[in-house]
Amino acid sequence: MYTLLIVQLAVSGALMGMVYALIAYGFQLTFATSKSINFGQGELVMLSALFSLTLIDSGLPYWLVVPGGMLFGVILGLFVERAAVRLSLEQKGEGWILLTIILGLLGFSAAENIWGRDDRPFPTPIPSDPLHFFGIDVTPLELSVAIGVLTVMGLVELFKRKTLLGKAFEAVSADRDAAQLMGISATRTIQLSYGLSGLVAAMAGILVAPITTVGPTMASVLILKAFSVAVVAGLDSGFGVVLIGLFLGALESLTSFYLGSGWREAPGLVLLILALAVRPNGVFGKASIRKV
Amino acid sequence: MWKRLLLIRGAELAALALLAAIPLMVDNSYVLGLLTLLAIYGILLIGLDVTVGYLGQVNLAHAAFLGLGAYAAGLSVAHFDFGMLAALAMALGVGVLFGTLLAFPALRLEGPQFALATLSFSALSATTLNEWEGLTLGAQGLQVTRPAFLGMTLDAPGFFWLCLLLLALVWLAMRNLLSSQWGRAFEALRDSPIATDAMGVGTYRHKVAGFALCSGLGGLAGGLYAFNFQYLQPQSFGWDLMVILLLGVVLGGRKSLWGALVGASLIALLPNLLSNRELFQVISAIGLLVALAAGGQGLLKKTTRPFQALAPVVAMGILMAGSLIVENTEDWRKAIFALMLFSVVVGLPEGLMGFAARFLTGLFHIDPPPLPAPASLDAVLPKRVVDGGALLELRGLERYFGGVKAVDGVSMTVRAGEIHGLIGPNGSGKSTAVNVISGLYVPTGGDILLRGKPLPAGSLFKVARTGVARTFQNLQLFGELSALDNVMVALKDVYRSPLPLVLLGFAKGEEKRAGAAALALLELVGLQAQARTRARDLTYGDQRFLEIARALARKPELLILDEPAAGLAHPDVTKLTEIIKRIHERGISIILIEHHMDVISELCSVVTVLDGGRIIAAGTAEQVKRDPKVIEAYLGMSDDSADAAAPALAG
Amino acid sequence: MKKTMLAALTMSLFTLQAYAADTVKIALTGPFTGGSAPMGVSMRDGAKLAIDEINRAGGIQVGTQKMKIEVIERDDEAKNERGALIAQELASMNDLAGVIGTVNTGVCLAGDKYFQEKGITKIITPAAGSASMTQWSKAGVKDLSIFRFSADDGIQAAMVVEEAISRKLTKVAIIHDSTNYGVSGRDDLLNQIKLQGNKLQVVATEKFNIGDKDMTAQLLKAKLGGAQAILIWGIGPELAAVSNGMAKLSLKAPLIGGWTLSMSNFIDNAGKNGNGTLMPQTFIEDPITPKARNFIDSYHKAYGVDRIPSPMSAAEGYDAVYVFAAAVKQAKSTDTHKIKDALEDLREPVKGVIATWKQPYAKWDPANEQTHEAFRRNQVVMGMVQDGRVAFANKADRQRLMKGAGK
Repeated sequence: MYTLLIVQLAVSGALMGMVYALIAYGFQLTFATSKSINFGQGELVMLSALFSLTLIDSGLPYWLVVPGGMLFGVILGLFVERAAVRLSLEQKGEGWILLTIILGLLGFSAAENIWGRDDRPFPTPIPSDPLHFFGIDVTPLELSVAIGVLTVMGLVELFKRKTLLGKAFEAVSADRDAAQLMGISATRTIQLSYGLSGLVAAMAGILVAPITTVGPTMASVLILKAFSVAVVAGLDSGFGVVLIGLFLGALESLTSFYLGSGWREAPGLVLLILALAVRPNGVFGKASIRKV
Repeated sequence: MWKRLLLIRGAELAALALLAAIPLMVDNSYVLGLLTLLAIYGILLIGLDVTVGYLGQVNLAHAAFLGLGAYAAGLSVAHFDFGMLAALAMALGVGVLFGTLLAFPALRLEGPQFALATLSFSALSATTLNEWEGLTLGAQGLQVTRPAFLGMTLDAPGFFWLCLLLLALVWLAMRNLLSSQWGRAFEALRDSPIATDAMGVGTYRHKVAGFALCSGLGGLAGGLYAFNFQYLQPQSFGWDLMVILLLGVVLGGRKSLWGALVGASLIALLPNLLSNRELFQVISAIGLLVALAAGGQGLLKKTTRPFQALAPVVAMGILMAGSLIVENTEDWRKAIFALMLFSVVVGLPEGLMGFAARFLTGLFHIDPPPLPAPASLDAVLPKRVVDGGALLELRGLERYFGGVKAVDGVSMTVRAGEIHGLIGPNGSGKSTAVNVISGLYVPTGGDILLRGKPLPAGSLFKVARTGVARTFQNLQLFGELSALDNVMVALKDVYRSPLPLVLLGFAKGEEKRAGAAALALLELVGLQAQARTRARDLTYGDQRFLEIARALARKPELLILDEPAAGLAHPDVTKLTEIIKRIHERGISIILIEHHMDVISELCSVVTVLDGGRIIAAGTAEQVKRDPKVIEAYLGMSDDSADAAAPALAG
Repeated sequence: MKKTMLAALTMSLFTLQAYAADTVKIALTGPFTGGSAPMGVSMRDGAKLAIDEINRAGGIQVGTQKMKIEVIERDDEAKNERGALIAQELASMNDLAGVIGTVNTGVCLAGDKYFQEKGITKIITPAAGSASMTQWSKAGVKDLSIFRFSADDGIQAAMVVEEAISRKLTKVAIIHDSTNYGVSGRDDLLNQIKLQGNKLQVVATEKFNIGDKDMTAQLLKAKLGGAQAILIWGIGPELAAVSNGMAKLSLKAPLIGGWTLSMSNFIDNAGKNGNGTLMPQTFIEDPITPKARNFIDSYHKAYGVDRIPSPMSAAEGYDAVYVFAAAVKQAKSTDTHKIKDALEDLREPVKGVIATWKQPYAKWDPANEQTHEAFRRNQVVMGMVQDGRVAFANKADRQRLMKGAGK
């Protein structure tokens, strides 16, 4: 009974951890090409989910809502790149940290006024009645999150490895200057990475919305954890985020059971600070050599 | 000189007097409340500016420090019956303590990682304040009583004056500190951590100090906050407040005390201005006009990119249109903040005050403070007696990167007083060797001895303190600092005043001496006329010379010049040769890494040739030039490099 | 820069004096943006509905002249600091008749002292936290200008515990959010369990943070302890997460909690899992009386909704305005001190949508906070979620209220 309980907690937490992993993966995509991340990514998740909800309300079937929402995410991602990132990268500054926070704020306020301040349910064809595996309760909804996350990440990785555009992406990630000398436009590739990152964020929003409900504040908690996952795993570690996401999700669930639910976030945060202190490039990240 | 002092100090005094006099003129508790908040925010933002402006790091933990300070003050009154001053000291102390603790893990971090570490810290501190109900009463909130100040019970105006007094003291202390070596070191750290260490300034100590200072002021402001509102809840010190604080610093203007004050007034007053629709329409119209004027001017003068000029206009246009359409502006408050911030960050990166300061100095023709007369070079760089003994010895030095043996068993000796050339084709390990000697890399094996004693391994800072100075092949200047400040920040044996004296403003004498010494060194490299120019605005050649002057400020025994002639035009190469000769005359030993064979031939008495991480030849320039292994090493490379190398060797 | 600031300051001073003198100025404060906004906005809109009705009828009869009500709206963002500043601002207005509003108990604790200092009449609605009134009795204030118009948590907690006991349950789990609201709710519940004879054993006391969506850990603890009911205190969407989590873990126990369980963001998000959830209510969106029908219809029409986000907040805001207006009329003055005196001795009954208010308040007695509390136990009923709406849990209550209105 007791072990079952621990397993139940760990599984429930880990499945939520997959969502952190997917959002964290979005950070990695842009970090790889531009060494920048969108601090307003949570708002991207939220806006895409709200937009998808509007699509559902307008009567579109679910299988059309998903690509619609993702397209919206891509557009938002491209907008963030253009408005907040490109200029500071050209100036080799870190203005993008502030600018992406600012755009997030704008998105939040817009959502509050356009879609209202209340959380709303997100209808989905996937049932939420629990299934029982060896005494553990799991809902198909939670499983769909895990499957969806892995599918999206797999597809993006496939895209990066198999297509010409994807190879340009890898080249810029490896060495921006060298890639540029080879005639690959770094600006375009960074644009692409922000588009992809927006797509991933939108997917995360659509996947998690039926569980968390949709509203302006839906991602504000998710995003902090996604940051933790991305940094602990390493901002350039690929699938490392999945492992760390699963781990952090399970850890949270177990912490809130054993330490008290108020402390649920604490271990993740301590872990983050420690990970940064000991391995600034993350558990799975590559140590970089300082060049002068 | 007097005009400058009169105007700047006069403006500060006038502002202070005006703020202090308002409660006497207006009897309105609301105005008083706002002014008190303004003073508290002023202290808070001056603190935040240390990290965001001077250290150049996005610090997202400042609201948390405000909270920690507030709780420290409130609890010390409740539990220990502290007086006002003791409680405020407690708040300050708690801020410094936690700031130092956080600084340690955050030390090695830059940019986004630093921002994330601070973000996590603030989430952690919010959780702790909320969950530790036994101490803080958690979410129920803590009622705080305002204790007596030196036995006096303070009423609202009295408390305001106390806040204002503290603001003035903080202002003075920070002005003294930031115009001293500390302020320069903070900025140096922002522009190049590597060079900061290599110039013996120390990133470690200054980052911790800067962060502790910033957090301490956050804590102090927190103490005042607690006694002002007299009711605390953990949730008040969260992300929303943090965004507002960043808004204040950025909008007001970074690296400026006035900017912090302007930012504080804006964030204290803005919510109230927004609640009045007509007033808001006026503000957004002014914003649009400013954006149009600034953008248009920038485009005409070609100082800004089109995006930088257009984006703020678009943002302000949206704001203007919104102010006409939207009925309840309060609903859109966050969007309004965002649009304003966006315009300022993109269009006026220096903030409102930076912009205004430039405008005002032009308007009143305020000259910068005069430079001191240069010191004599003999005083700054006394001639060393050269004994010809072994200065630097490498014994079997190795450095591997994974499987790549960049330096593979190099042994050589540099004698005091020689200019030792180090040459070799690209990738032969010259730069790696220099990086190992100067402490950037830890050697994989072997020994480095300076005058027979082992050199500290793997620490730029420690090596720099032993009397070895270097320049960088890829320039590592402190770009935002002036040429003079670049040299001043590296000066050795000048800054002796302890921190308290610096804060009190008793370090002006040594500042003068440092300025004079730095000017002498600038004169040595022919840059005295550009002393005030920002390093990044210098020509490429001058930047190279400035690096040399900065390295000389370390008063080194051994100077390592890493490809100083790379990319220089011919007249500059001649000038460089002259400079190196002059430095050599002062008895400084030099390791010179170069590709220009004529420079090597002219200057070096001994030349060591590296290839594939090993020494392939050593001797005088003439000897190595004829060495068949050297010729093969250069000619055996890919065609175009060999073409380039052949005439060089022939010369 | 200094100049702009001064200009702004003087400007705001001027605008204060620019208001016309022949209106009754009432300030409405509350969170109109952010997480608590559904309650703040409903309260504000309900109050404005009442104000519109009064103004359309020509205004309030003050002595010999009819005066219209002028509204000053202030968004406190549910932030204590903003609340304190707004209170300072309002307290410095010389001609303010009174203040209605505040959702968050923390904001009351941070701001109300400024009203009390100046003796400005404030009716708190719908903030329910006990501390916002007990702070004054604890301080032993002799003369209080702060009134409350909402069922305080003490009453609600008592009803919740009664409900559990009357269902013959013995083991309960308490789950609450980590804000001031949730934590004081927890303390009220524990207190009531003790007061009502310790008949309930609390098998788990668990917390969740705003924004938490995975309640597995908390619920498993409750399940392990064998809880027969979950007593819950929190706001909005997280409550739905608890309800959905219970369904996932097949934890079949009634969910009983504070009035916030009637908010649409719980009902919608919990869906069918929310059915049977119980909570104390002062107003149920059920047109049982003509007055209620009229109120519900005009709210729907005025704000273009088919359901009020927080019906209780709206109704309380609406009734609070009528009570206040009655006090103005009785005081024959817009002077806030005289209005306070009139409120403490309101002679004419006020027909509201929740009830007909007869002498809701009495002269403040620091030993008895009830003197400044409008709601008594019998004005509060148990509501139950039923297919997306809140209905009366007990038919008897419905009948009683219908009759009461007829009188």
